[in-house]
Amino acid sequence: MNIDYHALAPEIILALTVVAVLVVDLLPVEKFWTAVVGLGGLFLSFIPVLTLGFCESLEFCDDTGVRVLFGDSYVVDTFSLVLKGVFLGGAFISILLSVGYLESDRFWQGEYYFLLLSSALGAVVLASSRDLITLFVGLELVTGPTFLMAGWRKGDARSNEAALKFFIIGVISAAILLFGMSLVYGVTGETTFTGIRLASAGIVDQPLFTMGVVFTLLGFAFKVSAVPFHFWTPDTYEGAPTPVTAYLSVVSKAAGFVGLLVLCYLAFAELRNIWGAALWILAALSMTVGNLIALKQTNVVRLLGYSSIAQGGFMLVPFGAAVTAGASPAQLEDAFFATVTYLLIYAFMNLGAFAVVIAVRNRLVTAEMDAWGGLYNYAPGLATMLAIFFLSLAGVPPLAGWFAKLVMFRSALSIGGGWAIALAVIAVLNAVIGFAYYAKVVKAAWFDPIPEAIPADELRGRSIVPSLQFALGLTVVAVVLLGFFPDVIARLGDLTTGFVSGF
Amino acid sequence: MTFTDWVAQAENYVFLAIAIPMLFSAWRVVASQNVVHSVLYLVGALAGSAALFLLLGSEFVAWTVVLVYIGAVVVLFLFGIMITRAPLGQDVELSQPLRQRLPAAVVSGSLFLLMTGAMFDAFGGDVIPETEATRTFDVGISIFERWVIPFEVVSVILLAALVGGIVLARRDPDEMTEEVVSESEEVPQ
Repeated sequence: MNIDYHALAPEIILALTVVAVLVVDLLPVEKFWTAVVGLGGLFLSFIPVLTLGFCESLEFCDDTGVRVLFGDSYVVDTFSLVLKGVFLGGAFISILLSVGYLESDRFWQGEYYFLLLSSALGAVVLASSRDLITLFVGLELVTGPTFLMAGWRKGDARSNEAALKFFIIGVISAAILLFGMSLVYGVTGETTFTGIRLASAGIVDQPLFTMGVVFTLLGFAFKVSAVPFHFWTPDTYEGAPTPVTAYLSVVSKAAGFVGLLVLCYLAFAELRNIWGAALWILAALSMTVGNLIALKQTNVVRLLGYSSIAQGGFMLVPFGAAVTAGASPAQLEDAFFATVTYLLIYAFMNLGAFAVVIAVRNRLVTAEMDAWGGLYNYAPGLATMLAIFFLSLAGVPPLAGWFAKLVMFRSALSIGGGWAIALAVIAVLNAVIGFAYYAKVVKAAWFDPIPEAIPADELRGRSIVPSLQFALGLTVVAVVLLGFFPDVIARLGDLTTGFVSGF
Repeated sequence: MTFTDWVAQAENYVFLAIAIPMLFSAWRVVASQNVVHSVLYLVGALAGSAALFLLLGSEFVAWTVVLVYIGAVVVLFLFGIMITRAPLGQDVELSQPLRQRLPAAVVSGSLFLLMTGAMFDAFGGDVIPETEATRTFDVGISIFERWVIPFEVVSVILLAALVGGIVLARRDPDEMTEEVVSESEEVPQ
């Protein structure tokens, strides 16, 4: 059997890195080097993503267009390459966030990076999977290691609770997902997405097929923590080590969305009325419930937990808008584009927000908002970055978040129809509510007085470790530049829509 | 297929002979008040599913169920119960109050009816075609050709679970050095 090793190069390099980290962990060197090997491996596996992406302009690369491997089950197209880039970048920044955190206490470091990289490998595989089995196994590799990472503060009861809750909900959702997938396979007799799409034409009205699709969607709803399947999210986000929370809220959530995107727009393309309606409800609930509960939060990490539920709802809006029966292929492409673009921008701004939280907790330990008062007076740089990321999450121009919200509204409004417009209205109301609590954090940091309870020596400059500085720098530059030049990200998003109408 | 056709076929009696004890043990898994009994009934339920796979001619799957589930997973359950020193006898805490049981019964009952209805709608009149038993050789070839990516990914999942599980179960380095000293002096109880 001929295998296109160029197409598989990112996965192979990442898999080798995973093993290399374990080996370096055995060597009598500083544990710090395991992180360096991990970062190096992520960087190296990004190179073939680039060479595959720019294949037509490279001499040594024989351009075969979309690379289809293993009987339609594994596809390397521009969609998968863009998402692979996001996953590798997200994992890269997550490792940068973790280095200082893990050094600050006695943690098992080598094993931590090993788990994080295995999870990233799962996400990279997931981006290419066009087959139920590969998709499921990839998703399990994304979530499996994160159960363990959530409990990495072993002595802390909250961390144990976070891991246990996440694990139990995670395996139940995996079981529901697998049950749904087995029904879909049973009815269509196919596991590849193209096969399912072709087979589904004649059986769209069959109740069992509908149930299979609904169960599959519910499984993913747990993964992307859409309301009402979100109960694990705040506790897990608060209890887990903060860098793990950052990873969970970006890479793990994005992996869930990638699964939803390929399933809905490729495998279940003929059942738009079913997934459109189901995701319409989830989008409206996630935005509203997530935002309303976030308003009442006093802990910044918990607030970001609810905010990520609400942001997930915004990403679901284009799916929900696609329920309109008359939507043309071009409009569906636009909806697909909106979700991908939102995901790309969200990844940078949320990682940045967590980087700031980690940097502030480095000084103040607590994440309670009251204690953050007057941050600007003793850490003006951090307070500025806090404002940038939180206002970007709120969608304030000219930061990148506004473009994400813009394409989301545009897709819902251009599809039109009562349901899509109603969802857009709900999204507008929620964007306003969202602004209130993001601004509350910024206000505390800039205008509130420094609480008296905080000892003066904590306020004196405690330096931020270089890796965290690097992560902050990367995300700030991305969020500000993408806000001014959104066409860069729009171009990437545009490239991904290939399979929506190209069937 | 009519009822007389159904009665005339010998396989159906074998099916019933497997399915009825299987249903019974599946019921006992959840209803038993004793954790160890639940696990042993689980062996029965899993053995039944392996036998059903044999009946369908999927030898490889059947023996995988026996080896992996009955052989490894159930033994792991028993180990887990014994190591964590869970009460081995009657456990009254396993029975939930009525206000939890009732909604659970309503949800699972309606889901069961819905699923059964949908299953009959989809496959009600179908006859399982007579096919040759799947050869393990073919399964092996397809795992290493078409399904090689999931196969490799599963191996990474297992490795990650192993490494992470060991870390969570081990004592932390600082505790360990203290413990090693004290353990060596400790008199075995």
